[in-house]
Amino acid sequence: MVLVQGSPTVGALRDEIQSVRYRQATTTFCRLVAENQRPLKEMIGEAIAAAAPYVQVPSHMMRLPTGEMRGVNYDHTILGWRGAIALMHELGGARGILPNVQAMWYVSQGLNVWEQVVCEFPGHYARDAEQCDRKFPGTDEHVNRFDGPAWNVPKIYFEDHAPIEDGSITDRLARMTWAIAEGDKAQAYGLFLGLAKEPEYRQHLKDAILFSGIVDLQDTIINRGGYQNIGHKGLRARALVDIADYLGWDNAHELFYTVVPDLACSPHLHGLWSEISNICRMELPDQAAIPKRSDKPLSERELDSLTETLLWGGPYDVNATVMQLFRRGAGILDVGDAVMVCFQRYLIDVLEHPNAFLHPTHALDYMNVVQSWTRDHDNPHQVKGVFLGARFMNDTIRSNAMFPRDPNFALEPRQVYRAWADDMAVDRLLPVLKQYVLAQDAPRSCALVDSYLERTSERRDLLDTITYAACHWQNDPHVMRNCASSLEEYRHNQTSRRDDIIRGFVKHQSRYVKRAPTHDCYQLYVDHFHPTDA
Amino acid sequence: MNGDLKDLWQVRNVAAGVLVLSEEQMRRAVGDASVEQLTALIETFSPARSTGPEWTRSFEPLVERLCAWCDEATMAELADVFRARGIPWMAVTNALSRENGECVRSALRQPAWARLPAFAIV
Repeated sequence: MVLVQGSPTVGALRDEIQSVRYRQATTTFCRLVAENQRPLKEMIGEAIAAAAPYVQVPSHMMRLPTGEMRGVNYDHTILGWRGAIALMHELGGARGILPNVQAMWYVSQGLNVWEQVVCEFPGHYARDAEQCDRKFPGTDEHVNRFDGPAWNVPKIYFEDHAPIEDGSITDRLARMTWAIAEGDKAQAYGLFLGLAKEPEYRQHLKDAILFSGIVDLQDTIINRGGYQNIGHKGLRARALVDIADYLGWDNAHELFYTVVPDLACSPHLHGLWSEISNICRMELPDQAAIPKRSDKPLSERELDSLTETLLWGGPYDVNATVMQLFRRGAGILDVGDAVMVCFQRYLIDVLEHPNAFLHPTHALDYMNVVQSWTRDHDNPHQVKGVFLGARFMNDTIRSNAMFPRDPNFALEPRQVYRAWADDMAVDRLLPVLKQYVLAQDAPRSCALVDSYLERTSERRDLLDTITYAACHWQNDPHVMRNCASSLEEYRHNQTSRRDDIIRGFVKHQSRYVKRAPTHDCYQLYVDHFHPTDA
Repeated sequence: MNGDLKDLWQVRNVAAGVLVLSEEQMRRAVGDASVEQLTALIETFSPARSTGPEWTRSFEPLVERLCAWCDEATMAELADVFRARGIPWMAVTNALSRENGECVRSALRQPAWARLPAFAIV
């Protein structure tokens, strides 16, 4: 129970975020919007600003006393906001506020990641992944002190910088992308700040920052421990572009401070980019001329073949299959759309263990960044992005397959419940679906969706139902991000199998491991915003 | 076309015959193996020892055969070996459990016309 006293202020919100009092911070956020009528956009900007100095890390690799290395997680606060802002427009009205309240709930749990992984600061990583309370328990055995509040101030690993404005625009863009690749955070950030002041070159800046994020991707996560980024550089770049467009680029300084230095943070993983660049140079000399869409989209047989390769092939099988599609004249988005739908068969048919969704769905979100970059920008390297996304997806599938399957996490086939779903009136299906997603019953949720997809052409309410149910779960920005990716890709996908995106989406959201069993954040949202369907 | 189909079916039948012979040899080898030898085989499915996903994906077909060919005492002994190794081997322990063995055996079928072993997973 959060004690609410006095009038909420932005100052209080800032203090509560920085001291990891996430329940109070979320309450203040809700009151500022619901009671004080402060614009949601403004409050999102304030929350991002309050967190900005404390989301950087010295490196995403930490050297242990033994000499071995461990990974340090990427900031997820900004990914929650990007998902929430996208979903706000999808869900609309009071319902659209829910993902923002969820993003707010997470913010103060995601600060100071470096300190969290060594159990010196409270938050989601310290409390859950690192189980710090077991290693360093407090005086009260009933209180997990790593749930907050903080006992010291969060650290700042990268101070804010001034813009760098010397040189031509072209020169500054080139220096910025090179500084990101080389790991010069100050140079990259300063150049970005200077370029962000030039509205007429903003499209070039967006393209350059997305490019820099997308090309930084591990070649494999198999047995790599922390030496990977599971697509987070690309995901952050996309978050920057979307949120800056929402807040307004002139009001987004703290957003830039949050994202840009980390794009230049180590490790820098350009091995896969080099491999794909090399094979494209050899086999696709006219790659820059490949159209985004062609009159030769993939046939059903090609979709089957691509599915087989992504799910069961090896990395060079993926290279060969994608290369063949481009060589025979398919467009970039034709192949990208196909990769997106073919990958869904892994979610739909193969995945069972709730923990095993994490990496494959990062690959899905990364592929969404590649696809949106291709849709919204013109860049001669975009064909390579499709290879990168397909390889990432295939690698996460192979990585999961390195672990023997656990029969204790086997799922019943969705077909078992198909007759049960078909017996239900169509107009009853969506309320029932919401119940089963909330109950995390994947076989029944999937059967309901299969039935709905075959019995009606309506899709918007279906997607809305899955998304809104998914957003009941707290502590996890991945949920909002994946919802946003799935909805966007469904809308743009031009293959005959685009409904598979919905089938994969509902399987994910009704099975993926949850970070908290309760809906306290949702209840807070209900108390302040009174949605009609609560 | 008819000729092609006939040739293809003949190839398929030869492949099935080879599979039958290899399954039979595997059955005899598993029957002669000690718990230590079976443990060593299962250990190759650790992510650190596996030669890749293709090898690890063959774990389930192996478990299916172990459940069909090994006696309950051997299976229980094997499960105990991996249970003692804790959480990292939990999936393997669960796969070797008596409950999973019963589940696997109940799913096996051997129609009267079939020469192939009664395994669901190749």
